Amino acid sequence: MIAEEALIKELKQKESQAKAFEVLVNTYKERLYWHIRRIVLNHDDADDVLQNTFIKVYRNIDGFKGESKLYSWLYRIATNESLTFLKQKSKKAGISDEELKNRMIENLQSDVYFEGDEIQLKLQRALATLPDKQKLVFTMKYFQEMKYEDISEALETSVGALKASYHLAVKKIESYLKEN
Amino acid sequence: MFWSQIKDMKKDKKNSFNTPEGYFDSFHDRLMARMEKEAQTDSVIPKSDGFAIPEGYWDGVTPKIMSKTVKENGKVIQLKSYRTFYYGAAAVAAVFVLVFGINWKSTPTVAFDDLANAEIDAYFESNELDINTYELAELVSLDNVELNDVLEQDLDAENILQYLDETVDDIDELNLDYSDYE
Repeated sequence: MIAEEALIKELKQKESQAKAFEVLVNTYKERLYWHIRRIVLNHDDADDVLQNTFIKVYRNIDGFKGESKLYSWLYRIATNESLTFLKQKSKKAGISDEELKNRMIENLQSDVYFEGDEIQLKLQRALATLPDKQKLVFTMKYFQEMKYEDISEALETSVGALKASYHLAVKKIESYLKEN
Repeated sequence: MFWSQIKDMKKDKKNSFNTPEGYFDSFHDRLMARMEKEAQTDSVIPKSDGFAIPEGYWDGVTPKIMSKTVKENGKVIQLKSYRTFYYGAAAVAAVFVLVFGINWKSTPTVAFDDLANAEIDAYFESNELDINTYELAELVSLDNVELNDVLEQDLDAENILQYLDETVDDIDELNLDYSDYE
């Protein structure tokens, strides 16, 4: 466990910045990767977005005022980068967000880094029907096993609203899986 | 005998049962935890989402990120430096135009403004700048931008009313003073 305040201080000092940044990357790369991966689905895209996230963090670390926890700031940047990435991707391809989601799921079937079977594909199709926020809450809670308090900080949403979102998401996914 | 004892207990409202200390205080939390656990156990939602990563990915990703951040420090290219480059390029182009324009009068006259704009336009059109809307918004102050600067056609009251008419369900809800536009 790293002392967050000390790390932030070191990140802001030029002489200790490089070492501190390496610690930051090593501490958060896996958690952020899986968060991003569950939004963009494809490994190469997740790798790109993860790097962009850390580049953005590095460029803006002086502007981090410490009003929120470091990990929640990182999650916010990762979430924004992932959603922006998808928007740009659909714009570049000249297709709607909906169509892009469908294509992303279809591509999973031939993805060498996707080891899921029919039920996992169905799960992705069910997740694609949820609003972005509900999908985020579900994956953060169900797969990343984050505490509501931590998700609340990262998504800037109250714990009560998150619980309601999660409950709704579970019900929708379950009924999708049962009906399809 | 037994029944009389029960009657006495009822009369005294004495409860001989006991609960562990703090049992009722923690009941709600324990119930919620159990419900959550049962919801997960009984759920049809799979436990894994099937995503995998290439072997050795975690070892390679840190050096990749470090080479694009810390080791690139000082090489980070911001929009402002692009702008400096354009000014520099435009200045060099201007010198060339002036020098060659004076020495070879036979060459057709090329206006400095046209050349600079054309070059800059061509650069923007043929190069994809890695600048997203957030970064642009950080650099371009809204105070310096008029709405009509970013629109292809000037926005006048008629356009606004037509847009509202097409997109807003009940235009009356906007409480517009129509007399301004008549």
